[in-house]
Amino acid sequence: MAQQKLFPVTVVGSWVRPEWLVQALRRRQQDEISAEEFNRIADDAVLAAIKYQEDAGVDIVADGEMRRDNFYSFVVEKLSGMRLMKLSQLLDYMKDRAGFEEILRALDVPAFAIKSPIAIERVREREEGVALDEAKFLSAHTHRQTKMPIPGPYLLTRSSWFEGLSDKAYPTREELAKDVVQILRREVKALKQIGIDFIQLDEPSLSQVVYGDEAEQTFMCAALGSRSDPTTELEFAVRLVNETVEGIDGVKFGVHVCRGNWSRKEDVLLSGNYGPLLPWLARMNVDQLVLEMATPRAGEIDVFKEYRNVKELGLGVANPRTDTVENPQEIVDRVKAVLKYFDPEKIYLNPDCGFGTFAERCVNTPATAYRKLQAISAAADMLRREYA
Amino acid sequence: MAEEKTLNGLRVDQITGILDSMRDDPEVLKAVTGPWKSRVVWQGGFQAKAYMRKHVVQMDEPDGLDASDSAASAHEQLLSAVGSCLTVGYVLNATKRGVKVHDLEIALEGNFDNILKWAGHSKSGNPGYPSIKAKCFVRADADEKTLRELWQAAVDGSPVTQTVARPTEIITEFEKV
Repeated sequence: MAQQKLFPVTVVGSWVRPEWLVQALRRRQQDEISAEEFNRIADDAVLAAIKYQEDAGVDIVADGEMRRDNFYSFVVEKLSGMRLMKLSQLLDYMKDRAGFEEILRALDVPAFAIKSPIAIERVREREEGVALDEAKFLSAHTHRQTKMPIPGPYLLTRSSWFEGLSDKAYPTREELAKDVVQILRREVKALKQIGIDFIQLDEPSLSQVVYGDEAEQTFMCAALGSRSDPTTELEFAVRLVNETVEGIDGVKFGVHVCRGNWSRKEDVLLSGNYGPLLPWLARMNVDQLVLEMATPRAGEIDVFKEYRNVKELGLGVANPRTDTVENPQEIVDRVKAVLKYFDPEKIYLNPDCGFGTFAERCVNTPATAYRKLQAISAAADMLRREYA
Repeated sequence: MAEEKTLNGLRVDQITGILDSMRDDPEVLKAVTGPWKSRVVWQGGFQAKAYMRKHVVQMDEPDGLDASDSAASAHEQLLSAVGSCLTVGYVLNATKRGVKVHDLEIALEGNFDNILKWAGHSKSGNPGYPSIKAKCFVRADADEKTLRELWQAAVDGSPVTQTVARPTEIITEFEKV
């Protein structure tokens, strides 16, 4: 990776989808247009997303996840053996339907709106891996450093293994995890090979493990299958992440954790500080923790007191779900509070999460998202002047 | 031979023909008017079975009532009956207007007014639902105005919804055997 300036500005991944892209995505999902035709349309959307980021001063850009239905379900196009299933289709297989019903009512969403890739046969790459095509297009159209978010091994395993559907191909989710890890290992090696600078493993469901309710099956940006007790789950997640990245050097790895990004109603999203997660995040052999910290739901920064410089910190300094654009000075002040526990060269700046985690439920407008990135860049400039 | 046109899983010509015959053929109208029948047989505890034509539906009460909770309760099935009837009505009206429905889901909810009357602790009030909420979620190929019109038509034309929504006389009889 190129020599990094202080306080690099980056994104978590997704950008706001224009309506014409959403329309094309729907047509693709109904098989009315081919993957090639959809990608030709999506190319324009990716170029716009890159342009927004570059103009706003983002140092490490992503492709906006513009080709994805959401941050993880898109794998059904890339992996054989997976079927995209609506939660309404999974209801028949669910153990705790009453618990799920409460979640749906709290979220005020229909079950058909939530989709998950479910492993129904042995899972294998179809052609070019999970996100390699996206990465190649991104690399070919920017001179900035590049970041590729991909679903983490724990998220992918937990969301894809569903009792009653997956157990013929994989008797246990541990069996599925073996294949998921191997697929992701091949993926990150290929991404590194083409020069991607930063690979982010999205693991938002980790927060559900520690902050969610006791339901075995639940929803946290993803329809999640069975889980055990939190300690077992977190140990499982650490093992899978470490197996995925083991022995692969020369590319920056990050793990992203947040508390939900499907709604602007803050009260339906999870809350809690990083304290219960940090012992496990610290053991993940990644370079950076990409964490939401702008929302008060993420709790206090002092939880890092016992974890000084534990990793690099991708510090969330803008809430993607609000209309108000953060003031650069406020962002500077927030970073200074974090500097108690992290050296300046350890801190990257990013929004808390993407602006369009779900293609059809983007949480902001392009104009506001752009201004938020500008504010982060302005804050980074102020910090660089002070700490250079 | 012309290909049969289907929409929303329904044969459009067939359904149109049936609707027309309800208007034009008194025998058809009589057949769909009723009587509709159900026979409910106690199974022990709070369990019952409802027999309707060739169909059987099990009913029970939640385990909070010391029941076995082996099936949904009658008051839950009432909500489901309203929702199911609204679903049928929505799809019927959408199909009549040529609207393709991709997803349709109705979330229903009700709170009893005074369940103490059921429990025998109160002599006044209504032990049933004074109101029922029914929220429709739909993804379909039409503008929002059209989709709202379809919903209104489904609500207005739903036999079950209108039975529940209006004062309906239950003519009870009793016989000791």
